[in-house]
Amino acid sequence: MIAAAIVTADWYMTLAAVLFLIGMAGLLLRNNALVMFMSVELMLNAVNLTFVAAARAHGDIGGQMAVLFVLVVAAAEVAVGLAIIVSIFRIRRTASVDDLSELSG
Amino acid sequence: MIDVSYLSAAPEMMLVLGAVAVLMVDVFAKPPPRVHGWITAAAYLAAGASIVLQWQRLGAGGGGLSFGGALVLDPWAAAVRAVLLVVAVLGTLCAWEMLAGLGRRMAEGVSLVLVATAGFMLMGASVDLVMVFIALEIGSIALYVLAGIVRSSPAGDEAAMKYFLLGAFASAIFIYGGALAYAGTGATNLFDIERFLNDYLVARPAVILIGMALLVVGMGFKVTAAPFHSWAPDVYQGAPAGVVGFMAAAAKVGGFAALVHILFIGFARYQGAWSDGLAVIAALSVVLGTLLAIGQSDVRRMLAYSGVAHAGFLLTGMTAGAPAADGLLFYLATYSVMLVGAFAAVTAVSGPAGAGSSFDEYRGLGRRSPVAAAVLALTMIAMSGMPLTTGFIGKFQMFASAWDGGYEWLVIVGLAASVAAFFFYLRLVVLMYFRPGEENGRDPDAPLPLPVTIRWVLLFSAAVTLVFGIYPGPLLGLLTRV
Repeated sequence: MIAAAIVTADWYMTLAAVLFLIGMAGLLLRNNALVMFMSVELMLNAVNLTFVAAARAHGDIGGQMAVLFVLVVAAAEVAVGLAIIVSIFRIRRTASVDDLSELSG
Repeated sequence: MIDVSYLSAAPEMMLVLGAVAVLMVDVFAKPPPRVHGWITAAAYLAAGASIVLQWQRLGAGGGGLSFGGALVLDPWAAAVRAVLLVVAVLGTLCAWEMLAGLGRRMAEGVSLVLVATAGFMLMGASVDLVMVFIALEIGSIALYVLAGIVRSSPAGDEAAMKYFLLGAFASAIFIYGGALAYAGTGATNLFDIERFLNDYLVARPAVILIGMALLVVGMGFKVTAAPFHSWAPDVYQGAPAGVVGFMAAAAKVGGFAALVHILFIGFARYQGAWSDGLAVIAALSVVLGTLLAIGQSDVRRMLAYSGVAHAGFLLTGMTAGAPAADGLLFYLATYSVMLVGAFAAVTAVSGPAGAGSSFDEYRGLGRRSPVAAAVLALTMIAMSGMPLTTGFIGKFQMFASAWDGGYEWLVIVGLAASVAAFFFYLRLVVLMYFRPGEENGRDPDAPLPLPVTIRWVLLFSAAVTLVFGIYPGPLLGLLTRV
């Protein structure tokens, strides 16, 4: 029974790792700011899944508490991130980061 | 375990209260800018007084954990706060003209500076990975907004976007590292992690080690260590001139403050592993930062790459582990003051809200504004590590720590890079004093207006850099009680 529980948490953590890598790949490979931002959210959700799975494996409430904090931070990031994307879109009529090339040297 | 000591979070509370007061007064009274200035000054004074009280509590043998073990009151946390308070005061003075120019949105800008300072101060006091993450985000999110706060500037928007996407990416990596550390050890509190690693023989440390590596990578982004520095040049170049110095210095101090707690307390057991990792990142940062700085044609990008190299020097010292903490804070404090001073001069040249700062604008600055040119030259010389400046003493301590820690090769790499770095630092000095400014048809000798707030920042920065460069004793003594 205990062995089964550990295996279960491991599976969830593996899934979370895969989600995290998908998010990372999305952020590095896509060029639409909204999609990149969604990828970051996916990474944060992978973090949440890891926390919950580990909390379950350890029988500890701390991981579940951490998830709440990560959710709050993610919400704050959404507020600021979308505002920045909208602000850029108003000036340039595009959300592609390839067009953000004013700064370089 | 109810162990709430308000004193251990008092400086942050004062700053956040100040931010709220600025916003509320703005809503109800629509006051002139100087009222915001008084409230901000009051918040900084109250925060400073709280830090003094913390020092007294520590001197009386008090301190320790509070808020359920999330925050610690130790000399490191108190000293980091003092450094950040100085950075924030200088940064606010430097940014004042830009903030006042925001008109009706000025209160937003002022409160963001206060909140960012509070966030980075909390980073130095947090000993729980979740708390570090929240503190990091409080500071970082405020900085994303500050980078794009001048709406009319497309460069500012672009800087905000790049800073935001890469910053959020770094934060996600950091907290994933925290989640893996939690999965491996069952704790997010650094003291609990330390206890776990000391008490148990970990059969499969891979998860914990990966978690630790991700924590370092996430923080590496924030302190602009190579190869995680790609955002810094764009952000420093595009953000409004006034806030860049604050942005760069505060994030670096906060990042290193948290990294010290994470590695020296939580993962002290794995020092062998993280020392080697930090050494590699340090060598990369020093070499890449120096080489890339040489080719720049924009002063802000040059300062960004020089910041990468300086992150490398700081990491060089950190490889030695806990004994290096002494010199670390001295380096952070003096480098921050230099950086804010240099960006104060940049602000004078490119205007309070301007973006970009090409080398050509600095031709003949020695005649246009002797004060700005002299301080910029002094900070460049100090950053290159010339003796009789604080830069030399800081760098010397970092190299000494690394040498004692057995990383002789890293010291040699650092010394070689320091010599190469003279080239780009002195290039700016030569440009300011020995090259006439006749670009764009403007009068080469037209005096540059220097707002009084910027003049104060310049003079303070120069004084600290020189006085403590010649007599480092007092400041070293104060910061090495850490």
